[in-house]
Amino acid sequence: MSEPLATPALGRKGGFRRRGTLAAGVFLLGAFVVLALGAPLIAPYDPIAQDATARLQGPSWLHPFGTDNFGRDILSRVIWGTRIDLKIAVIGVIFPFLIGTTLGTVAGFFGGIVDAIFMRLVDIILAFPFLVLMLSIIAILGPGLASFYIAMALVGWVSYARLIRAQMLVLKNHDYAVAAVSLGFSRMRIMFRHLLPNAAAGSVVFAMSDAVLVLLNGSAISYLGLGVQPPVAEWGVMVAEGQAFVTTAWWITLFPGLAIVTLAFAFSMIGDGLADLFGVHE
Amino acid sequence: MIAALLKVTDLTVVHDGDGGERTLLDAVSLDLAPGEVLGLVGESGSGKSLLCRSLVRLLPSSRLRISGGSITLSGRELTTAPEAEMLAVRGGEIGMIFQNPSSHLDPVMRIGDQITEGIRFHQRLDAKAARAAAVDILAQVGFPDPARQYDSYPHEFSGGMRQRAMIGAALSSNPKILIADEPTTALDVTIQAQILRLLMDIRARRGLSVILVTHDLGIVAQVCDRIAVMWQGRLVEIGEKRGLLAAPAHAYTRSLIASHPSLPEEDMPAKAEELRAPGAVPVVDIEKLHVRFATGGLFRRGAVDAVNGVTLRVMPGETVGIVGESGSGKSTLARAVLGLTPVSSGTIRFDGTDIASGRAVLGMLRRQTAMVFQDPFNALNPHLTVGKMLAEVLRVQGKIETAQIPARCGELLDLVGLGRAFLDRKPRSMSGGQCQRAGIARALAVDPKLIIADECVAALDVTIQAQIVELFRELVERMSLTLIFIAHDLAIVRNLCQRVVVMHRGVIVEEGRSEEVFSRPKHAYTAALIAAVPHIDPDKPLLAPSKMATPQADGVAN
Repeated sequence: MSEPLATPALGRKGGFRRRGTLAAGVFLLGAFVVLALGAPLIAPYDPIAQDATARLQGPSWLHPFGTDNFGRDILSRVIWGTRIDLKIAVIGVIFPFLIGTTLGTVAGFFGGIVDAIFMRLVDIILAFPFLVLMLSIIAILGPGLASFYIAMALVGWVSYARLIRAQMLVLKNHDYAVAAVSLGFSRMRIMFRHLLPNAAAGSVVFAMSDAVLVLLNGSAISYLGLGVQPPVAEWGVMVAEGQAFVTTAWWITLFPGLAIVTLAFAFSMIGDGLADLFGVHE
Repeated sequence: MIAALLKVTDLTVVHDGDGGERTLLDAVSLDLAPGEVLGLVGESGSGKSLLCRSLVRLLPSSRLRISGGSITLSGRELTTAPEAEMLAVRGGEIGMIFQNPSSHLDPVMRIGDQITEGIRFHQRLDAKAARAAAVDILAQVGFPDPARQYDSYPHEFSGGMRQRAMIGAALSSNPKILIADEPTTALDVTIQAQILRLLMDIRARRGLSVILVTHDLGIVAQVCDRIAVMWQGRLVEIGEKRGLLAAPAHAYTRSLIASHPSLPEEDMPAKAEELRAPGAVPVVDIEKLHVRFATGGLFRRGAVDAVNGVTLRVMPGETVGIVGESGSGKSTLARAVLGLTPVSSGTIRFDGTDIASGRAVLGMLRRQTAMVFQDPFNALNPHLTVGKMLAEVLRVQGKIETAQIPARCGELLDLVGLGRAFLDRKPRSMSGGQCQRAGIARALAVDPKLIIADECVAALDVTIQAQIVELFRELVERMSLTLIFIAHDLAIVRNLCQRVVVMHRGVIVEEGRSEEVFSRPKHAYTAALIAAVPHIDPDKPLLAPSKMATPQADGVAN
């Protein structure tokens, strides 16, 4: 009786639903990327060119999404806005992710005083309402997207740090971590090469839903006049500008709003798909 | 023969997957007489547990379904019975107990209440009568002070007591059949013997039928009337235990019996020969070692001595077994030797150098020692392929040229009998035995002087266990390794190790050549351990608890 040497791979066989969610999300996000990259070719009009003769026109064959109070084509502005909003979502997530993951890994792995310091820092940041903290930092740095990214990085990392730290606390007691120590691997190698890849799945999934929040935050900040400055086309700004006309010219707010929702939907589908793929729910 | 209480005919269970149907139970037929104990053996994945769950129609996944055959309980068909009727059958007529009592008892519910629940649901007693009945059951399953312990929570008890509580909960609704799924696998041998005896007691007192699922043929030989052997979803053999053990018909049964690590019976003559070559430096030299762990919280500080004054010397080329129950400090000792756990007092010398004398020594230790772990899946990084894992060890250790690393990885896999096809496999796609071989390859990659194997076969099936032990034997011979082999399974240690060390509550109670310790244990604890091992020969019964603490209670007592 010998051990069968060729057992079939026990790979996770994703059902259609599981794979389908991820594929649909990636497809949708891909479509936005294409829009962003090809904006000059795809958009029918200049997004900031005003046309006094075509103000506040409803959707028509000439202007499928209508025009705003300056006669600017909404469709073109939504397409150009993709560039800004994708950037907000991506940059607004990447920096908190990197900072939080690194600090969380170190805190969880070393424990003790290092952990205590980082986690008290997390507590302090969490003690302030998120938006208030964001607004104060942006107010100090001055309005603009760069300030928004910095504020995001300073405030947003805490969730990632907590997630990764909790994972590390469990993983560092796994036998393969002990094995790595007994094999003479350096701490850096154990932390970042052996433990982090196993701890990161949850954070990657969270990053996807976080992208949605960041996107909405970016829009909210711009809406408050602290983010993207007019006349640049950004969905949040567009919603803010259209607010005055919402009863008479609904298309000014509706279409950029729909764009926000759709992009958010794409991210959350990818997040769900990844969660299934990594087995985070199991 | 008495009419069967439970009759299973051609029971077939299939899994509806993406790639079509897969048959997991293939036309299994068996019957169970009232008061009979049926042993169900087979390796993991053979369908033992699935069969038990199918009997009460609790299939672990919605993709599984019973596609054919019938189950009749006292003449009633269960496969087609409505769900409401099954509720009365589960617990009421068929009770179940499981391997891990900690995860099958509700941690926030009092032990007694968990038993009362079944009584009230199935026997419709009022609260007071149910409580009285529960106290009675607690007494029956061996709780010394049932009236008081009724109000205790599961975490207040040891694993053995929890298993008793679970048996109590299963008995609470007065079932006709008790299905025990690996009820003692998670327990120490001495506790295992007690639980098995309890099961037999209850059988005798209540006339209960028992289906006992286990992978240990010794247990089956000891407590069952008939044995059913399962292999790859089929019931390959069933029969009266003596006949089946003496003349197994199926090839798998034969290999299962051959792999069973029995303690040899012959009374070895004591050898006076000295193991140690004069003048040789011991590989490991432990002196008065204490390892203390802090316990309790802020206000009630205390400390527990996991290792309490151990002195031990291991010579080059020696194979030393450390045995003892869980909590005896064997693993802590191993980790201290490898410098993985801080030492409270005492010294550990590796190759003559005190390992507490600085980082450089620790680095040296890391280059000359390696560890093999208990849980093969947990011990390998799930993200790395076997090839990458080995290459990394070789690269970090830096003992061979970078260009030779790929070739060496292949050699290592050949050495542990995996073959080079495994270079690109990840742990998830490998079986437990294969993972354990990869873990051993990783240990060998260090090219160590000393390997410490901590319970490295405990999680494996017996046939695989035998293979891994054989592999260790080969490697030790071929590579002049020094091996410290930690196990709670005495028979395996007896077969593999020249010298054995028995630990109990952090101290070494006995130490000596394996043959000698096992045939003439000097310490009562060692004798109790040996007596508690279920022997594959049904005519060598487990000893009664009163005799267990005495040194005379050896296997030769009958």
